[in-house]
Amino acid sequence: MSITGDTDVRRRIVDDLDDGFTLLVERYQGGIYSGALRLTRSREDARDVAQDTFLRAYRALGTYDRQRIETLAVKPWLWTITLNLCRSRAKRAKPTRLLAQRESLSTNDAPHFDEREWNLRLAALSNPQRTAVVLRHVGDLSIGEIASITGRPEGTIKTDISRGLSKLRTIMEEEESV
Amino acid sequence: MTEVDDLLAGIAVRPPADLERTTLITAGAADQVATTDSPFGLLWISWSPIGVTGVTPIFSCRTVDDFMEIHRRNTYVADRLPMDLASQVDEALEHGTTPEFPVDLRGIADFQGSVLQACRQIQPGTVRSYGWVADALSNPGAVRAVGTALGHNPIPLLIPCHRVVRSDGSIGNYAFGPEMKHDLLVAEGAILA
Repeated sequence: MSITGDTDVRRRIVDDLDDGFTLLVERYQGGIYSGALRLTRSREDARDVAQDTFLRAYRALGTYDRQRIETLAVKPWLWTITLNLCRSRAKRAKPTRLLAQRESLSTNDAPHFDEREWNLRLAALSNPQRTAVVLRHVGDLSIGEIASITGRPEGTIKTDISRGLSKLRTIMEEEESV
Repeated sequence: MTEVDDLLAGIAVRPPADLERTTLITAGAADQVATTDSPFGLLWISWSPIGVTGVTPIFSCRTVDDFMEIHRRNTYVADRLPMDLASQVDEALEHGTTPEFPVDLRGIADFQGSVLQACRQIQPGTVRSYGWVADALSNPGAVRAVGTALGHNPIPLLIPCHRVVRSDGSIGNYAFGPEMKHDLLVAEGAILA
């Protein structure tokens, strides 16, 4: 994976783990939380996933030597942790959780209109499409990075994103026409 | 704004306001600080999930910004110490701190950390010389360096650098003055020269 970007984060982690980690949290908390929210569709879960992502990252960084940190592709690494946490939550939550989520989509459960709208829209995408769209457009990861994180070919990722966006476009056009 | 940006406007949201704080504190990458009363007046005490990271009497450090300047760690202000830690602090300040008191010495240079750990082994009511600490580190030539390390003890009172005195039994230096050192030792029942 590419290690371009985040040179300052890596340097500060090498110099002082706590200082570098603080910069890492400042930089990525918004993206990781947003991504986790879109993948789990729950504010509570998103908060837990985001916090757990950073705690795991902190513990891991404490065991890495200088060379490993200097060659760490920080952003894809963090998103790999986040995605794994979201997946293990989804597995644990079956089947009652899915049922509850489906119910919540039709109720006024989500605290904000936009959030409920996005939950509904993303629910229409397949899991791979949703994951690819979120990693690309919330996580700002490259196609190659997403392929590496998800273990799927780049061509498939491109197709997932393209079809996911197309589906979202259709849904939003339908929303506007109502 | 591209067509995709326009399409996905609103998909990203702001994280909860306290996510950064709670994450850094839970990880141990940032401390919390609060004041607590003591026989020596109000103290600033900072802590991590591992233990106390810093102590400074308020008479020598008026504001929390000053405290952070001294201790040089990312620190968030809390209303008060957690109850279990508060009772341990009260006990240690009243009867003399012991080696079991939880402290967090991460980030402290190896030599100073060793000096402070050796110092923690000195029981309440007893004193040891700087030379004793150097000997305990198997480094008898490091007496002066031991004095310097103790002089920069980030957790005075709870890491008992006040129990280290000169080899002739005289009180020696103390960050908050020799009188306070004397009073601390007397309160702990130490027999002074």
